[in-house]
Amino acid sequence: MSKWSLRLAAGLAAAALALTACSSSSSGDSSSGDSSSGGSAPGADALDQTQGVTTVTFWHAMTGQNATVLTSLVNEFNAAHRGKIEVKPLFQGTYDDVIAKYKASVQQKGTPSLVQVYDIGTRFMIDSRQTVPAQAFADKDGYKLDDIEPGIRNYYTVGGKLAAMPFNSSMPLLYLDADAFKEAGLDPAKPPRTLAELGEAAKKLTKKDANGQTVRYGFGASVYGWFVEELIAESGTLYCDQDNGRAEKADKVLFDSVQGAQTVQWWADLVKGGYAANTGRVTADAQAAFKAGKVAMHLESTGVLRGYTEAAKFTVATAPYPRLTADDQGGPVIGGASLWIDGPGHSAAEQRASWEFAKFLTEPAQQAVWHTGTGYFPVNRKALDDPKDKEWLAKYPQFQTAIDELHATKPTPATAGCLLGVMPQARKGVETAIEQTISGAKTAQQALGDAAKDLQPALDSYNASVG
Amino acid sequence: MTTTERLPARARAAREGTARIRESAGRAAVYTLLGAAVVTVAFPVYYAFAGAVMGPSELSSYPPALLPHSVTGRNFAGAVEVIPLGRQYLNSAVTAGLITLAQLLTSILAAYAFVFLPLRWRAAVFGVFLATLMVPWEAVIIPNYLMLSGWGLGNTYFGLVLPFLASGFGTFMLRQSFRQFPAELRDAARIDGAGHWRFLWRILVPLNKPSLAAIAIYVFLSAWNQYFWPLIITRTAQMQTLQIGLASLRDAERADPGLILAGVVLSLLPTLVLVVFGQRFVVRGLTAGAVR
Amino acid sequence: MPRSSGAAAAAGRAGAAAAAGRAGATAAAPKRGPGRPDWGERTLAWAFLLPSLVVFALFIGYPLGRTLYLSTHGNDLFGAPSRYVGMRHYTDLLASAEFHKTLVTTLLFVLLTVLPGVFGALGLVLLLESRVRGVRWLRSAFALPFAFSVASASVVFSVFFNPAIGVLNGLLSQFGTGPVGWLTDQRYALLSVSAATVWMNLGYNVLVLSAGIGSIPQETVEAARLDGATGWRLARSITVPLLGPHLFFLIVVSTINSLQSFGQIHILTLGGPDGATRTLVYSVYEKAFAYGSSDFGTASAQAVVLLVVVLACAGVQFGLLERKVHYA
Repeated sequence: MSKWSLRLAAGLAAAALALTACSSSSSGDSSSGDSSSGGSAPGADALDQTQGVTTVTFWHAMTGQNATVLTSLVNEFNAAHRGKIEVKPLFQGTYDDVIAKYKASVQQKGTPSLVQVYDIGTRFMIDSRQTVPAQAFADKDGYKLDDIEPGIRNYYTVGGKLAAMPFNSSMPLLYLDADAFKEAGLDPAKPPRTLAELGEAAKKLTKKDANGQTVRYGFGASVYGWFVEELIAESGTLYCDQDNGRAEKADKVLFDSVQGAQTVQWWADLVKGGYAANTGRVTADAQAAFKAGKVAMHLESTGVLRGYTEAAKFTVATAPYPRLTADDQGGPVIGGASLWIDGPGHSAAEQRASWEFAKFLTEPAQQAVWHTGTGYFPVNRKALDDPKDKEWLAKYPQFQTAIDELHATKPTPATAGCLLGVMPQARKGVETAIEQTISGAKTAQQALGDAAKDLQPALDSYNASVG
Repeated sequence: MTTTERLPARARAAREGTARIRESAGRAAVYTLLGAAVVTVAFPVYYAFAGAVMGPSELSSYPPALLPHSVTGRNFAGAVEVIPLGRQYLNSAVTAGLITLAQLLTSILAAYAFVFLPLRWRAAVFGVFLATLMVPWEAVIIPNYLMLSGWGLGNTYFGLVLPFLASGFGTFMLRQSFRQFPAELRDAARIDGAGHWRFLWRILVPLNKPSLAAIAIYVFLSAWNQYFWPLIITRTAQMQTLQIGLASLRDAERADPGLILAGVVLSLLPTLVLVVFGQRFVVRGLTAGAVR
Repeated sequence: MPRSSGAAAAAGRAGAAAAAGRAGATAAAPKRGPGRPDWGERTLAWAFLLPSLVVFALFIGYPLGRTLYLSTHGNDLFGAPSRYVGMRHYTDLLASAEFHKTLVTTLLFVLLTVLPGVFGALGLVLLLESRVRGVRWLRSAFALPFAFSVASASVVFSVFFNPAIGVLNGLLSQFGTGPVGWLTDQRYALLSVSAATVWMNLGYNVLVLSAGIGSIPQETVEAARLDGATGWRLARSITVPLLGPHLFFLIVVSTINSLQSFGQIHILTLGGPDGATRTLVYSVYEKAFAYGSSDFGTASAQAVVLLVVVLACAGVQFGLLERKVHYA
């Protein structure tokens, strides 16, 4: 097929989609094409004109307490829209499972109406061309998205448009064992700010017994690529090119930068010096070490705060995520997941109903319930004014650190975080690099350089496959 | 070989004396070795049980407590809260049970066809059955995963059992058994007017109960212990088998060593009972494939 | 102990090939009724074989072909096979240092689990034979690991090996050494996972070898004893040779099980650190199912390599060992 005929076909498809989007209210047959890039969303009338109940199938990855709270919110929504909309939440396993399942559903042309996808699946979801940007709905309705935390909006904004509705967000924090700080003559109210300071503190906090055995390490975090991503963002530099994949699709990773190398080398040196515990990749092991008081400083997300305060026998304090140097201009990148509204194969009424539900979940009252029930960061600023939320904050004052941290962060490409189709593999590559640096097999610079080199073919073939 | 006979009596006595000394030294060595081995082998088992009843402070104490100072049931309660252990027990039992029954049935039929029925290309067809044994499951796991989830059978009992409803192993073992069936009995049954169906179920199967039991145990345990397939084909805690539940218990946010060990102990009870009380019976099942 | 569906197959493989070696595929021809072959009976035979054949075709035969197909195709964004790439995945693998490491790790893992597992069990069983007190109790103790599944044993060992709050490092610190990064240090991770695996298999191995010793005719042993053979000599000249078939069986089953090991690696190390415990099967999992990669093409090529390795191992073992084994 020549270039011309391809363009012609694409044009026809776009025209056909525009037609179906405008005219039909309930046809579910537009199963191919690219309605996402066009960014047109059905208006509110699509739902009003539909008879009967519109069903929204909603795939999510929430378990335990999070699932309980989510279900109660869904029930509340369904009760308010009885006879009109019914949301059916379907748990699909881990975030990775959701992506795998979603891939299969695209092949089988049976995507859900609404799907919860983790932050690092964002580029993939855009490239899948199965979704309608949240921005398109907001624009259609004249709905203001200003209340959504700018720092969170920043992550899910691609090409100037909010691609998905933020829902559950978390941020990285530096967790401290306040008792250990006092014991070592340090002030937990004046936590280390830079990696150098953190290293110094770690040395003071490391405690050995009479036999020379380490009974407490100054620092310890699981070998998790996310922490390095966050440290690079804190330094105000980029993880991948094209402004972290925000201007154009990224075609190269930059984590092997000076900042990346310094970060990883710092970590490895602390381990090699005996000041940091290396608990490997298994997150639970690192968490157990902190909870047991074996590690005095620790990197984790806001999500574990409540669990830590309940399990630990010491006073848990929090501090802003560290930076490379004191005058770094960056900040943390938001983690968590967002809600994607599927377009192709779903009626206008169904798309509308998905949007209504996504909108509902991000309203202040619901976000206050969500935040206080789960410990996720409220994506709506106004949620923090809710009395329920204030009460919760009084109980977990450590959470204020995260709020301040996010509000102090300037939205820049660096703090937006990198969008990459192969982000999960990139993360794995960085984890391997950390391990190689710790073992001394390579310097951080070499290890990260090799990881970037190893990732390139996957990145190229991903970009080639989405054209 | 019989050199001792040719030795003079005195020399023999002396030799027996030193042998006795050597033997007692040897005995001591044997007991030491055995003692060390028992401790090494049994310690993880002991610690699983001890840790399961220890409180969190004991478990996280350093150096670790080896004896529980006080006994708590909290870990068990916690484990059952974090994963739906009862449901996962049921899932494992249903899955392993269905696989065992189905494999017995298909293997009995196939083995019967090989031994008692006229069959063209017998050797070739039997070769196919043997060939299935040579293919490691992991080599075909990807297409099976894609196919079964494509059929919408991901996260269902069907997805868990379908690929394992027949087995070249069971057929092979039963064929060996059936071939040893006395020809006279078979002829007698035929003279009595027993057709194939009646002969199979009324005479052959009852008389081969030990082999069938051995195969059943083997198949059941294999299915009970599966990990890779249930890991990828199930998604929800409600559909996961016990093995996957245990692994997820470890990664759970609330997990601590006590909780994990309590989960292990609870999951262990049936097989432990089997090993301790039915050892001899189990051995037959396990070595079914070994040597005849 | 049968650790996976593969274990049953492995046991079957061992037995089947042994039998095939002895008898060939010459199934005893059933006695046919006089006269022409009975069409009803022939139909019945196929009807009896059909359920098994359908299952094999659907879940082994077709997927095997599909694995080959996938291994020669690229993947689109959603994991569906796209264009034909010929042997690209295979040549990429052969050129990849990561894959070389995977193969070496797999081989090491097999050696580190099979040899200690089988011969350790042999040692224990021989010790038990030297007329000690409480043999039954001891044997039961050695058989205990058999009650553990791969998952439950791995989870227990994860508590043992935990770098910061693990039992092993706690004990070591009592002796003033350590801590050791059992699972996080490149040098020890594979050894630790292997040790856990040996422990898991010990129960089964002990049970099989005990059964083997039990099947040795008592007269043979008594005769040797009358000849003055005791302890080590008795073991070397009588017990071990007569255990030949059982040892052979165990080595084959263990090797193939070892090649198919997955749960302990998934639970203990996730293939790390830096790929130190990434075996072939784990690598298949990683490429196909982990990290959202859905790289079914590369994973399938690795699955084909696994198939070839398993077949080759089985072949080599039968070729080398079968002749030396003394079938009683």
